[in-house]
Amino acid sequence: MTLFSRSLSSLKYSNQAFKTAITFRYLQNFEQRNPQVRTINIFTSLHKSSEVQSLPDKEKTQKKGSILKKSFITWKSVLVTGVGCTALLMYMYYLQERKEKETERERRRQLGKAAIGGKFELVDCNGKTWKSEDFFGQWVLIYFGFTHCPDICPDELEKLTQIVNTLETQYNTKVQPIFISVDPDRDTPEIVGKYVKEFSDKILGLTGNKEQVAKVCKAYRVYYSNGPKDQDSDYIVDHTIIIYLVDPDGMFVDYYGLTHNAEQVVNSVNINKYKYDNLKKDNWIPSVSLKSPLPT
Amino acid sequence: MSFPSKEDRIRCWSHRDEYWKCLDDGKTEVECKKFREQYEKFCPALWVKHFDRKREYLKFKEQLEQGGYVPEEQNAT
Repeated sequence: MTLFSRSLSSLKYSNQAFKTAITFRYLQNFEQRNPQVRTINIFTSLHKSSEVQSLPDKEKTQKKGSILKKSFITWKSVLVTGVGCTALLMYMYYLQERKEKETERERRRQLGKAAIGGKFELVDCNGKTWKSEDFFGQWVLIYFGFTHCPDICPDELEKLTQIVNTLETQYNTKVQPIFISVDPDRDTPEIVGKYVKEFSDKILGLTGNKEQVAKVCKAYRVYYSNGPKDQDSDYIVDHTIIIYLVDPDGMFVDYYGLTHNAEQVVNSVNINKYKYDNLKKDNWIPSVSLKSPLPT
Repeated sequence: MSFPSKEDRIRCWSHRDEYWKCLDDGKTEVECKKFREQYEKFCPALWVKHFDRKREYLKFKEQLEQGGYVPEEQNAT
């Protein structure tokens, strides 16, 4: 016990000694360092003043004169430099934009590999078969639902109608809205056709047999599951509530959930369309390629 | 088996909203019985179940947003 306390006290002492040693050393260091810093400061200012003073008077005046006489800053040079800089800046801006476009293209290329979206084959109320390829060349908004849906599907379809109408009237953008049923057991093509007509004539109502619906839902990663049947053998289908945006190349671009209102979706569609149109536009200024072209 | 038409839906929703309003006014379920009857008459049975659950969920959500988590013993009363 005593041994322990003794060792403890010695530890304390040593600790204290260590601290004082550090402070001392620090002070010493500081004293050593301080004049050094000061000398540097003095040195620079002295150096400057001594340089000027040390120069012979004749040389000094000569130097001053040469600076004034040979000054190359004239209005002309300013103008030339200004124009040169502006041109350079503009070219840099152009290059940057081009690079951004390329990055965007590359991103799109990789998005194409993302596993959302894909081929499908469904039927409309007139018995016409629609393939995913049939929608190439137009923007498409797809919503999945079922006709016996109590509240969410009707709300979302109202929203979809509003989005499509706003885009058409205010932004002159035509988008094809599609409703795909996730309830192939009850929703025949005729029923789906009748259902979507209640919202808008523009909406294309599609359905199919179990396999066809399963295929499109798998492609768009839509979950759907029939709930328990009640006494009237009525049931609610639990399903993913998402509106998908597909571009004219048939590629999935964006998706909107319940929390997105019509205005937000309209804005997003506009942005995506702008981006898409920009990418499709050809470059009109020939430029030197700084980078090796991206693999296509 | 056809789906409830737009008119059916709107009728169902408005009766549901009347019943919910009655409950929101602080009346008991017994007092709102006649609204409940109308609501059940105009909505498919499954929708009634769905909306009842939805109301419970909305109430719960509201409670959470206003007062944070409510301990269970308070919920039970």
